[in-house]
Amino acid sequence: MNARRKKKQWRCRLAQNSGQLSYKQGDCVPMTNLNQGQSGTVYSNNDLHTIERGIYIGAKITILRNETEEPNLIVAVGDSRYVLDRRIAQKIDVRID
Amino acid sequence: MKPILNRKPIIALAGNPNVGKTTLFNALTGSRQTVGNWPGVTVEHKSGSYLYKGNEYEVIDLPGIYSLSGGTPDELVARNFILNEKPDLILNIVDASNLERNLYLTVQLMELGAPILMCLSMADIAEKNGLWIDLDHLSKHLGFEVCKVVLNKRFDSDDLKQRIAENLAHPPTPAQIFYDDIVEIHLDKIWKEILKQKNVPEATQEKPLAKDLYDQVQKTRWQALKLIEKDPEYTRLISDKQRLAVAKEICAIEKHRGQAAPNVIADDRYGFIRGLIKDVVKRKNPGIRTFSDKVDRILLSRYLGLPVFFFVMYLVFWIAVRASKPFINWIEAGLSWLFVDQVRALLEMLSAPHWLSFFFSDAVGGGIATIGTFIPPIFFIYISLSIMEDSGYMARAAFIADKFMRRIGLPGKAFIPLLVGFGCTVPAIMATRTLESPRDRVFASLLTPFMSCGAKLPVYTFLAMIFFPQRADIVIFGLYIFGILMALFTGLMLKKTVFKTEPGNFVMELPNYHIPTFNGIMLHTWFRLKDFVFRASRTIIMAIIIINLLSIVMVPNYFSQGREKVSVLELGGRVITPVMSPLGIDKENWAASVALITGLFAKEAIVGTMQSLYTGSELSIDSNRDEEPLAGLSANIHRAFANWQAALAFLIFVTLYSPCVAALAMLFNEHGLGWTIYSFVYLNILAWVIAMVFYQSFLFSASSIYWLITGLVILGLIYFNLSLIGKRHERTT
Repeated sequence: MNARRKKKQWRCRLAQNSGQLSYKQGDCVPMTNLNQGQSGTVYSNNDLHTIERGIYIGAKITILRNETEEPNLIVAVGDSRYVLDRRIAQKIDVRID
Repeated sequence: MKPILNRKPIIALAGNPNVGKTTLFNALTGSRQTVGNWPGVTVEHKSGSYLYKGNEYEVIDLPGIYSLSGGTPDELVARNFILNEKPDLILNIVDASNLERNLYLTVQLMELGAPILMCLSMADIAEKNGLWIDLDHLSKHLGFEVCKVVLNKRFDSDDLKQRIAENLAHPPTPAQIFYDDIVEIHLDKIWKEILKQKNVPEATQEKPLAKDLYDQVQKTRWQALKLIEKDPEYTRLISDKQRLAVAKEICAIEKHRGQAAPNVIADDRYGFIRGLIKDVVKRKNPGIRTFSDKVDRILLSRYLGLPVFFFVMYLVFWIAVRASKPFINWIEAGLSWLFVDQVRALLEMLSAPHWLSFFFSDAVGGGIATIGTFIPPIFFIYISLSIMEDSGYMARAAFIADKFMRRIGLPGKAFIPLLVGFGCTVPAIMATRTLESPRDRVFASLLTPFMSCGAKLPVYTFLAMIFFPQRADIVIFGLYIFGILMALFTGLMLKKTVFKTEPGNFVMELPNYHIPTFNGIMLHTWFRLKDFVFRASRTIIMAIIIINLLSIVMVPNYFSQGREKVSVLELGGRVITPVMSPLGIDKENWAASVALITGLFAKEAIVGTMQSLYTGSELSIDSNRDEEPLAGLSANIHRAFANWQAALAFLIFVTLYSPCVAALAMLFNEHGLGWTIYSFVYLNILAWVIAMVFYQSFLFSASSIYWLITGLVILGLIYFNLSLIGKRHERTT
């Protein structure tokens, strides 16, 4: 079951990287689902650590790097640039601009 | 200028990491600094002082933090210092090119009610990025002065010192931060509850509060906020009845906002900051990619990222190992001449007893010379690390390393201590403090001894030149790689058994690229080096004194029928030699075992011990007096080790066995006795098993099968034991 879910996630990421899986403006998705260069507004975030770094509800973010095989994303939040663990980014919902 | 206070004014520097806080600290205090640890925690404490117009000012460099929430030891230290020590002024250093995020800490400092003077650093980068900040407007909103500083260029510290003096004479009162109406109502209720307990009268329009009472009330509002933020330290301080009342208020806030209360407070703080930014910051080019973004597109790219990373790491390694080599020889020769030869000559001239001459020249003088040899590799590795840190590449390197570090259960940042390990294991264990989770700190510390430190290089070079003169470089490089492979093996084993949890969540800022200043790097390096020398020297000198004493205390030789007396050290070597026989060290080669014992005190002592013991009469089987000394020594070592396989097995053992006492002492200091014993036992057993497997596999005989099975059983037992430790650890956590 776990392996099947992992496989599905992997396929989803692969599709996302190849540009097959794209979301339209206004969609609310986990931050990890955004493609490189896409921007959005934080819709929900329950992690105090990242809120304190500026990823609060309403903050504008841009994905600078999101490679499927990498454990981290690089996100631009205002004038800051963060390396964000995929596990954390998965829990942050973003509305696509 | 008249003195402002009866005592020396205390100025605390507070700010986010990578905002130029240390550069400002160095510019203010110069070399008048002391570095240590905050009591009870392993967070670096830096203090210094400066004179201005006849008055002395004390400056405390607080750790670089993003907030005062108290989630990390750094945050707790900074918060407790401000609350308990009550500095006379807080110099809040804020990155002008990243004002919004930096103001979050400022807002928290304002809530503490402390007098603040804000310094906007990196104003030049902000300008390049198209940002214009209205300083007067910002100052009016915040309630304290805001000044601009450009720390990379000619910095006018006198202007800042004048502003500090003025702010100390007339301390500003920061503006009050107001939250959402509902939050304010509940905050007010908790605040009043605490005030009631402290018997502080409420302020009215007719009867305003006096200054010290105002400060107390301000602190109580902060305490009420901390209670809403569910801060464990503050929640512990109130009674059960109050705790219930606070929980009720928190519940009401959470119901209204649909968010956890601490997140509500953080969101509202950003609400205030956003409003402020809109008011005071003008952007010429919104959405522009910065210079750092453009550089990152190359340095972190899929194809170039890794080669650049490996090139930089190779450069650091090369500088630490190769560039320091000539300096090691000069320093060793110079210090030996001064502290060993000259001291001995002086004491002999004064007709001092032999033991006194031996103690001061060989033991203490020899110890100082040994510490001297540590200095060049550590100096160069610290210079390299300072350049990497100050330029902003260190965070990028951690990002790239994270990809493969995670496979062994460590976060990317852990590669820094491992890299430092190539210079010396002692600062490498110290460098694990940069990791956030205690799990990662212990895990990384256990792997640092696998990185061949600078002191092992002379041992590798010495034996490789004797046994593999044509291929010495390949052998040395191979031993370095072998150490890394064994670190991977141990990492995977620990990940599967003891440290089953995932490494700490990786949230790391990528700072803007900077050109580091020469003064900044040198001061940074100097203080780290000074700290290392004073910290490690005590242990190392002590260890060398003990080893020298053991080499002169004579006991009967139970291994010889003649029963002539031998030193304790030699006896120890003879005792452990049978254990080393499956590695190719036969009983006549006891000098190799003695060298391994001395190596426990300092790895380079292995070479010294071998040089002195193999030139001795017992082992000089047919040494020719006309021969060059090294040739005789080389021949003796060749004869003592039956073949090249035995020599290589010995080198593998040296690569893997226990780190020196100084590193063990540091491990004990950082992680306690349990992990120190574990590291000592595990590394010695692993070194024995791997060296034995290597030797027995190459010289395969009937007994080899027995030894190889023994090796496998031992490895199985290690794994089983680690699983048990892991299970116990799981139960306790």
